[in-house]
Amino acid sequence: MARMARMALLYLLLTLFAITTLAPFLWMVLTSLKPLEEVERLHPFPSTWRFDNYQQVLVQIPFARYYFNSLFVAAWVTFLTCLTSAMAAFAFARLRWRFRDGVFRLYLATLMVPGVVTMIPNYTLMVKLQLLDSYAGLIVPSAFSAFGTFLLRQFFLTIPAALDEAAEIDGASKWQVFWDVVLPLARPGLITLALFTFMGNYGSFFWPLVLIKSEHLRTLPIGMLFFDSTYGRQTNLLMAASLMNIAPLIVLFVVAQKFLVRGIQMGAVKG
Amino acid sequence: MSRMGGSRARREGWTALGFLLPNLLGFLVFTSGPVLFSLAISFSNWNLQQTVPFRWIGVENYAHMLRDTEFWLYTINTFYFLLGLPVSIAGSLFLALLLSQQIRGVVVYRTLFYLPSFTSGVALMILWKSLYNPDFGLINTVIRNVSDAFHLGITPPEWLLSTKNVLGLEVERIGVARAQWGLGARDAIIIMGIWTAIGGNNMLLYLAALTNIPQELIEAGQIDGAGRWALFRHIVWPQLAPTTFFIVVMSFIGGLQGGFEQARVMTGGGPAGTTTTLSYYIYTRAFEEFQIGYASAVSWTLFALIFVLTWINWRFGNREVHY
Amino acid sequence: MRAVFLGSLILLTILSVIAWRLQPTDSADGRVTLVWVSDDNPARREQIALFHALYPQYRVQLDPSNGGVEKVIVQSLGGVGPDLFDCYDGFQLSAYVRSGVAWDITEELPRLGVDINALWEPLRSYALYEGRIFGFGTNISADAIWYNKDIFDAEGVPYPKGPWKWDAFVKLAQRMTRRDASGRVIRFGFLCDWWNWLHFAYQWGGRIYTPDGTRCIVDSPENIAAVQFLHDLIYRYRVMPGPVEEAAMATQGGWGSGTITRFGAGKAAMALGGRWWLCTLRSYRNLRLGVAESPHARYRIFRAYGKATLINRYSPRRYEALRFLAYQASQAYNDLINRQADGIGPVARYAYTEAFLHNPAHPEEDQNHVWREAVAHSISDQVSPFVSGQVAMRILSRQLDLVKNNQKSPAEALRTAARQINAEIARTLEQDPVLRARYHALAGISSGAGRR
Repeated sequence: MARMARMALLYLLLTLFAITTLAPFLWMVLTSLKPLEEVERLHPFPSTWRFDNYQQVLVQIPFARYYFNSLFVAAWVTFLTCLTSAMAAFAFARLRWRFRDGVFRLYLATLMVPGVVTMIPNYTLMVKLQLLDSYAGLIVPSAFSAFGTFLLRQFFLTIPAALDEAAEIDGASKWQVFWDVVLPLARPGLITLALFTFMGNYGSFFWPLVLIKSEHLRTLPIGMLFFDSTYGRQTNLLMAASLMNIAPLIVLFVVAQKFLVRGIQMGAVKG
Repeated sequence: MSRMGGSRARREGWTALGFLLPNLLGFLVFTSGPVLFSLAISFSNWNLQQTVPFRWIGVENYAHMLRDTEFWLYTINTFYFLLGLPVSIAGSLFLALLLSQQIRGVVVYRTLFYLPSFTSGVALMILWKSLYNPDFGLINTVIRNVSDAFHLGITPPEWLLSTKNVLGLEVERIGVARAQWGLGARDAIIIMGIWTAIGGNNMLLYLAALTNIPQELIEAGQIDGAGRWALFRHIVWPQLAPTTFFIVVMSFIGGLQGGFEQARVMTGGGPAGTTTTLSYYIYTRAFEEFQIGYASAVSWTLFALIFVLTWINWRFGNREVHY
Repeated sequence: MRAVFLGSLILLTILSVIAWRLQPTDSADGRVTLVWVSDDNPARREQIALFHALYPQYRVQLDPSNGGVEKVIVQSLGGVGPDLFDCYDGFQLSAYVRSGVAWDITEELPRLGVDINALWEPLRSYALYEGRIFGFGTNISADAIWYNKDIFDAEGVPYPKGPWKWDAFVKLAQRMTRRDASGRVIRFGFLCDWWNWLHFAYQWGGRIYTPDGTRCIVDSPENIAAVQFLHDLIYRYRVMPGPVEEAAMATQGGWGSGTITRFGAGKAAMALGGRWWLCTLRSYRNLRLGVAESPHARYRIFRAYGKATLINRYSPRRYEALRFLAYQASQAYNDLINRQADGIGPVARYAYTEAFLHNPAHPEEDQNHVWREAVAHSISDQVSPFVSGQVAMRILSRQLDLVKNNQKSPAEALRTAARQINAEIARTLEQDPVLRARYHALAGISSGAGRR
C-alpha cells in the first residue's frame, strides 16, 4: 500500500514537471492558430482556428528558401565536422606520434574559449577572404570541432585495439583500418556527434546574423525575426514559423534519442 | 607484416599528420589563430574607423577596463546569472533520481523533459517575454489569482521591466540597497534558464551515472538497514561525485559565456544594463561601436576568468571526488 | 561506412548545385540595380515606383533588413554593402563619415543641378559634415499634437489650438484622462515616445554639447527641468502611461511604433507625433484626427528629425546612385512625399504650394499648415566630433530609461550621463591625435568650455 502511494506520488511529480515543459509548447501551438487580435488575450483557445496562419508564413516570407538554407548549411557542417573529427580522433586514439598528448591538451583547452573571443577575428577573416554573405562563410568556420574530436576519441578508445592489429596483419593500411574497422564500430559515436552538430548549428543565431546580408542566404532563425520587427509584429505567425522550424529537430530527437543519450554519457563520464 | 620498432613511430607520425591535417588546419585557422590574433589586437586601438591610425597602445585597454564601471557591473551581472546553477543542477539530479526508479514511460518523460533544450531559440524567448508581461502575462495572472483567492495581498513583480534582484544589488553602482530587493529582469532570465536546462543534458548525465552504480552497493546498504536518505547520502551521492564535478565545471564554463541571446532578444541588455553580461557587452562594443581593440581586451579577460575558475574547480573540486 | 560518407558527399554536392542555381540572377534586362537600405513601408514602395517610371534604366531594390549603422558600415567595408543607405541623424552621419563609408559628393552633386541649400535648413546637418556634402535629404518631420476628435466631442471639450504652453496642455490632458472606479486609467490624456525627450529639452533651452562639441552639457538645469517635466507627465500629473502601463497596452500588427497604434486604437486623447503617422493612421477608418501645434516652454522651437540618403563609397555603382539623390531633389518626388504624408518632402519650397495644403484625396486633412509651421520652427540635433554617437546614445538612453522607470531623478541621471559621455570624449582624445589637436584648438578659442 505504501509502495502504491509512493509510486503514485512519483508519477504525479514527473507528470507535473512534464506539464511545465510541455505547456509553453502547447501555448505556442495555440497561439500559432489564433487570429492576430487574440494573440495577447489570455484565453488559451482561439475563437476561430486559423490554420491558414501556416500558409501565411509561407506567403509573407520566403520560408521555403530559409528552410532550405538552414538545413543545407547544417547538413554541410555536420558532414564536414564528422569527417574531420573522425580522422583527427583516429590520429589521437590509434596512432603513436610525438607531441600527441600535448596537442590533445591544447584541443581540450580551447573548449574553454568563449565564442566572443574568436568571433571578432573570424569576422575580419571572413571580410578578408571575401566570404561575407556566402554559404561558405556560414559553413567553413563551423566545420572543425575540437569537441567532436574529443568525443570521437573517447569512443575510439573503447574499441579493442586487437581488432585493428588483426586487420593490419591481414595487410590493411591505416586508411583501411580507419574506414573498415574503426568507423563502423564507432557508429553510435558518429551518430551522436552528427546529432549534436546538426542541432547546434541548425539553431545558430549570432553568426548568420552578422555574416549574412542577402535575403536568399538567410537562415530560418534570422528570417523569422521578420515577424518580430517593430514594423508589424505578428506573434501568431512567428509561433507558426518556429513550430515548423523545430519540427525536424523533434523528429530527429525522437528517432535517435538513444544514441544521443549514450553520446552524452560517453563524452562526459569517460572524460 | 611486423615492422621495425624504431621506424614505426616515425612512419606513424606522417600517417598521423595526414589524418590530423584537415581538422588541425581548421583548428589553427578558426580557433587558435583567432585566439592569438585577438590577444594581439587587445593591445591596439583598432576601431575600424579609418580616421584613427592603427597604433599599438600597450596595456591601455586593460587599464581602461579597470576604470570602466560598466565592465565591473557587467562582470557582476555575469556572475549573478550563475546563481541559477545550483538550483538547476539539483533539479536535474532530483529528476534523474525520480526517473531511475522502476517506472514506465521513461522514454516519454525523458523526451518531454528534453524538449526545451533543443528549442531554446528566439521563438521560445519571445514566448517567455510574453509570459513575463507584468500585466497580462500568464505568470502574473496566476500570481494575482492565487493572491486574491487566499487574500495574500501580493503585488506581482514587474519581471523584465524591473532592475530589482534577489540580492538587492544596486543599479549602476557596486553595492547593495534595500530598495532593490525583489524579483526583476535578471531573475526572470535565471528562471527561464533553469526551466530550459533542468531536464536537459545534465539530467541525462545523472541518469547514466545512476544506472552505472553497482546494484550490490545499494543492496549492501539496504541490508545494513540504511534509510532512504542515508542510502542517498552515503552511497549514491559519493558515487555521483565525478559526474557532479563534470557538470559543475561545464556549467560554469557555459554560464560565464552566456547571456547574449537573452539580452539581444528579450531585454536589449536592459533595464539600465542589468541584463547585460560580458558577452553582450563585448558584442555591443565590437559590433555596434567598433571598438575592436577594447572589445578584444574584455573578451580576453573573460577567457582568463573562465580559465582560472576552471583551474580552481579542477584543483580543489577534484580533491573531494572519491573514486 | 565509406558508402555512407560518399553518399552524403554526393547528396550535398547535388544540393549545392541546386542552391547555386537558385541564386537570384542580377537583373538580366540590362537595368542597373541599386540596393537601398531603408525601412520598408507602403510609402517607400510608391517612391521607388515613381523613380522607375521616371528612369526606366534603373531598378531600385529595397533592403529593409540590413539597417543599422553597424551592419551598413561593416558590410560596406567588407565589400558587400548597399549602394544607397539612409542616415537618421547627425550622429549616424558622423559614424558613416568617420568610418569612411559615406562618399563625399561635394563635387559630384552640384553637377547634376542639385542645390544642397534647397533642403529644409535643419535637414542640412543630415547631409553635410564639416562643410562637405555626403547625401541628400529624404524627408523631414517635426512633431505636433495629434488629437482624437471623437474623444473631444464626446467629452464636450473644444479642440486645442496653438501656439500654447505646456501648463495649459497639462490641464487639458488631465481633463481628458479617464479612470475606472478602482482608479485604473482606461484612457490616457497623452502619449509620447520617451526618446522624444529632446523635443522638450530644446524648448527648455537645453543642448547636448557645448556649441563646439568639446563638452557634454546634458546635465544643464534646462535639460534637467525638461526631463523632469516629462517624468511629471507620468508620475505627477498621471496623464501619460509609465513603462508597465505601456506594456499592458502592447499592440500587435500594423506599421509603426507602439505609440501610433495605441493612439489609433483610441487609448489616448492626444499624442505627440509627426505627420508621417498618417501613413499608418489613414488606414484606421473610424478615426477622426485633428492636429494642433505642439505646446512650448520657454522657446517656441521643435525638434526636427528626418533622414538623408547617402551613397556607399565602395559601391561600384556609386555614380549611378547619384541619380537617385537627384530624384529626391525633384519636384515629382517632393510632391509625392507631401501627398503620402511620409513626413514632409526634403525641399522646402515644394511645401509652400496649394497642393501641399490641400490633398484632394484627403480633404479631411485640412491642417497641413501646422506641420509646415512646425518644421519651419525646428532645429536639428547636435553632433560632437569627439565622441561616437552610438556610445553617447547608449549612455543617454540607459539613463533616461531609469528616469522613466522612476528609479533615478532626472538630475542624477543626466549628471551620470554627462560624466560618462565626457569620459568617452577624454578617451577618444587619448587615442586619436588628429582629434586631440582639433580639440585643443577649439578649447583654446572657447574659453571655459573645454575644461577637462
